[in-house]
Amino acid sequence: MSKSANIAAAGHALWANTPKVNTELFALTYGSLITEILRDYDQDISEVNVQLERIGHSIGVRCVDELLAKSEVNGINIPMCRDLRETAEVIAKIGFRMFLGVNCDVGKLTDKSFSLYLSENPLNIFVELPSMSEDEGGSGPDWNQLKYSNIYCGVIRGALEQVNLKVECSFVRDVLRGDEVNEIRVNVKEVLAEGAGEDYHEE
Amino acid sequence: MTFLHLFIVNKSGGLIHHRPLSKHAPHIGTNDWLRIGSTFHSLHAIAAEASPVKSKHKNDGIEFIEAEGLILCCFQTRTGIKFVITAEPGTRNLQKVLREIYVSYADCTLKDPFYELEMPIRCELFTQAVDDIMRQYG
Repeated sequence: MSKSANIAAAGHALWANTPKVNTELFALTYGSLITEILRDYDQDISEVNVQLERIGHSIGVRCVDELLAKSEVNGINIPMCRDLRETAEVIAKIGFRMFLGVNCDVGKLTDKSFSLYLSENPLNIFVELPSMSEDEGGSGPDWNQLKYSNIYCGVIRGALEQVNLKVECSFVRDVLRGDEVNEIRVNVKEVLAEGAGEDYHEE
Repeated sequence: MTFLHLFIVNKSGGLIHHRPLSKHAPHIGTNDWLRIGSTFHSLHAIAAEASPVKSKHKNDGIEFIEAEGLILCCFQTRTGIKFVITAEPGTRNLQKVLREIYVSYADCTLKDPFYELEMPIRCELFTQAVDDIMRQYG
């Protein structure tokens, strides 16, 4: 198990070297982003979820280079992942640790999917989803459908896309909805071929 | 022992950045640069295929070219971007410089909200960061 110890240590080392920002500022900025999007899309919850994932995607495609670059100069060698478990470990132990400082675990691993468990989530530290009031009935938005931290799903999808893994990510359990832990399910759709590969292969 | 040029090639083979790194660097016209960029990209891909030994590394390709008048070092990231640097023979720390330029790319270019991925890099911060690296290693 020394390899996973190395990965965890790598994550801690990178987190130590990352410039930090105030957690409350981070959480409140994200919260105001959510309220703005809700206003822009007229409280259409499914559309808001889609937009959050899209924002996360743009972030993710850039995060992966930062992770790879910073680990290289800090002398941390992240070897090429030989199987999905290693990819999941890198995302959980190095990615989440380095960018957010949180502990993330991998579980329910199959050869085409895995789950990420987040026990603490800096984005929702002040958040409570509004409950449906009786007199509103079915007219108000269904807050239970709001995937508050859906941005993470986009980040993971964008990051893996840059390293040729096409995935689908979704939140299956959310503490804001009453579950004990946040669970993100990642399904690998396909492994994309390297960019120039096809043109130059031998006939 | 000085560095001569830096150029960056994106995933699809297009040149996204090129610049001289010192006063000694010979002047290369824009069209020549574009030709150099796409030629290098193709050679890099062919080299991986032509290799007699199939490397386990997915990012196999040209790493180092040593000629009488120059040395060329290439670093391909796992996201497909190639950072290539040329220098006079005898220059050291090429690999380190490329790694630092990769970090500057991640910090300055990627975090620029107006920068689109795979497009030519026009970030002032990135230029300054590379200048700082040159001052440190040049």
